[in-house]
Amino acid sequence: MRSAQRWNVVWAIPILAILIGGWMLYQNVSSKGPEVSVRFETAEGIAAGKTDIRCRSVTVGKVTRVELDDNLQSVLVYGQLDNGNEVLLRKGTRFWVVRPRVSTADVSGLGTLLTGAYIELEPGTGDLGIRKWIGLETPPATSRSVPGRRLTLVSEEAGSLSVGSTIYYKGYDVGRIESRELDADGRRIVYEAFVREEYQALVRENTKFWNTSGVDISAGVDGFKIRTPSIQAMIAGGVSFSVNENEEPGEMVSDGSIFELHDDAEHANSSIFEPTLQVLLLFDQSVRGLNVSAPVEYRGIRIGRVKSISFDFVREKENQKVPVLVELDSGLLRATGEEILPEDELPRLEEGIRNGLRATLKIGSLLTGAMFVDFDYYPEETIENLTYKGDYPVVPTLASGFAQIEVKLASILEKIDALPTDEMVAQITNAARETATTISEAKLALKQIEKAAAAARETMANPEFKKLPADLRKSLATLDKSVSSIGPDGAIQGDLLRTLDELRSAMRSMEALSDTIKDRPNSLLFGNEESKNPRPKAAGKR
Amino acid sequence: MNGICKNIPRAANQGLAGCHVCEKVSLISAVNCPRCGTHLHFRKPDSINRTIALMIAAAIMYIPANILPIMSIRELGVTTESTIVTGLIQFWEARSYPIAIVIFSASILIPLLKIFALIWLCAAAKGIVPHSAKILGKVYWITELLGRWSMVDIFVVAILVTMVQLGNYMVVTPGPGALAFAGVVILTMFAAMSFDPKLLWDQLEREAAEAESEKNTERE
Repeated sequence: MRSAQRWNVVWAIPILAILIGGWMLYQNVSSKGPEVSVRFETAEGIAAGKTDIRCRSVTVGKVTRVELDDNLQSVLVYGQLDNGNEVLLRKGTRFWVVRPRVSTADVSGLGTLLTGAYIELEPGTGDLGIRKWIGLETPPATSRSVPGRRLTLVSEEAGSLSVGSTIYYKGYDVGRIESRELDADGRRIVYEAFVREEYQALVRENTKFWNTSGVDISAGVDGFKIRTPSIQAMIAGGVSFSVNENEEPGEMVSDGSIFELHDDAEHANSSIFEPTLQVLLLFDQSVRGLNVSAPVEYRGIRIGRVKSISFDFVREKENQKVPVLVELDSGLLRATGEEILPEDELPRLEEGIRNGLRATLKIGSLLTGAMFVDFDYYPEETIENLTYKGDYPVVPTLASGFAQIEVKLASILEKIDALPTDEMVAQITNAARETATTISEAKLALKQIEKAAAAARETMANPEFKKLPADLRKSLATLDKSVSSIGPDGAIQGDLLRTLDELRSAMRSMEALSDTIKDRPNSLLFGNEESKNPRPKAAGKR
Repeated sequence: MNGICKNIPRAANQGLAGCHVCEKVSLISAVNCPRCGTHLHFRKPDSINRTIALMIAAAIMYIPANILPIMSIRELGVTTESTIVTGLIQFWEARSYPIAIVIFSASILIPLLKIFALIWLCAAAKGIVPHSAKILGKVYWITELLGRWSMVDIFVVAILVTMVQLGNYMVVTPGPGALAFAGVVILTMFAAMSFDPKLLWDQLEREAAEAESEKNTERE
């Protein structure tokens, strides 16, 4: 009985050990969450057992294994998440390696210089239960959880825009470029842009985006232009956007809307115009200085742009004329609200050409030699009809002012060349000689003038001359007297007054006479009979 | 061998027992030690059972001690957890062979040897395995001698934890493995303590007596 009791007490110790050991193991195992595998291109900086998996800098797991993929093209990083972190593993969860990165846009992950790289996990919002991911090679510029508008910008060329470049609205930082990719067919660059929530209302349907990277030096018809954005945008690249001033802002856009990214602000603005008509011009002169997208103007109003300069439009190359295809927006010429139907365009053009509408090349800037196409009416030109070349209507052209000047200049030069130069030189020599004699004569004349001046000086020095002022004063006093006789108390005044009185009485009798003549013109002939008792005119009429 | 014990009278046979505490030899009939008052036994009570129970407990704790991390080093925000085996491998790969050998013997070899040695001794005391007094004496001596050195690991962890506390730069914290390992060491020490080597000699005596009686019966 006693020994049995002892047996029980002693054997409690291994049972306790089992309990404690088992509990410890259970704790350890249960604190382990799900295992995940993430595929990366390289495992640079990732060490099994050391590299953390973090979510917003909170450690949620650890890398347990790093393996090469079967096809040796990528690495598989296996991570053990801590217990309770299953909620992080959703569809749309993103993984990327945080390493020290120094770019012109920003510097990030410097802390990992000392601690080594770690894997950042950004939980998605989709379904739970996913355990395999493909990691991002570059960290997303903005966390997906940050609210805002995510847009797609499409550009012809990548330019200096890169991931992390700033998006500006009126020069103010409102967002970031998040990714940059070449389109699948290699034709366009597709950017993912992010605009922060507080500014997302600025992006409208008719918003234009343009690249503000680098220094933009352009020479166009309006001279040289140098545009520089902020230093940061100059180095790191940037995108600006706005709605054209003349337009009403459109509807707000939703995530994923696609916008074209224009090369510069000018392109963005000129892209507003919607070409309604394409017209072919055949120039019989050099089109040097005329660039694609050069303006097309009608009397100074921009109505279109040059779309293409190419011989492709003319098969037979008649007269070696240079074909220039321009696109026009006739809407720019009409009054607001006035609608022009598409089928009305050509008849209008035809009518215009019959009235003398012609296209000419003009120099926009003498400095750069850039040309533009000018449309105007030249009623003195011969009447022409609308013709077609391929699919395009052809507007007749005139040799431009510049070309005309060139011709005239050439003819002037010819004339100058034809001048009898030798004869002229001889004549000029003669003339010069004559001039020399004239000058010597002039010198003599000058000497005589000098003498006359000396004589005059002598006269001035004469005492008689000095008395002259006193005489003058006397004459003035006499003049004063004469004037005072004209004044109100003067004799002349009295005479004048009398004369005026007489004149007035004379005028009065003249008036009476004129009245009499008006009333009875015959009185001039028959005398004034009824003058003794005149009757009022008004009473007689009644 | 048996001859050594043959001619000398044994204390137990004469009713004498040694006190477990003060080692005073007194008559077992006194029940309590006349010097220190401890309960007197001829042999440690229930020695084999206790030893085996403690050994089993130690063996159980030996599993988490080796599986769980014994300490975690947090260095510049990167936490590295190491178990005894991974630490050993690290030292070995770093070509610190002497340290690796010391850790291997102190942390893996000695506890294991101790457990096996004690189980063997228990088995021998029960007469299950064959034995010779000389070898058993050596084994017991080694068990007693080496047992205390298996605490090396715990000391290393304890010293590191107290010394390496450099704030954000480096922090060493003990892992659950250290606790289990301490349990192993303590349990084996208790097991070694609770084992009464006199049982071995009792068994030898008994076997010798049996052998003699067998001889006698053969003679008869």
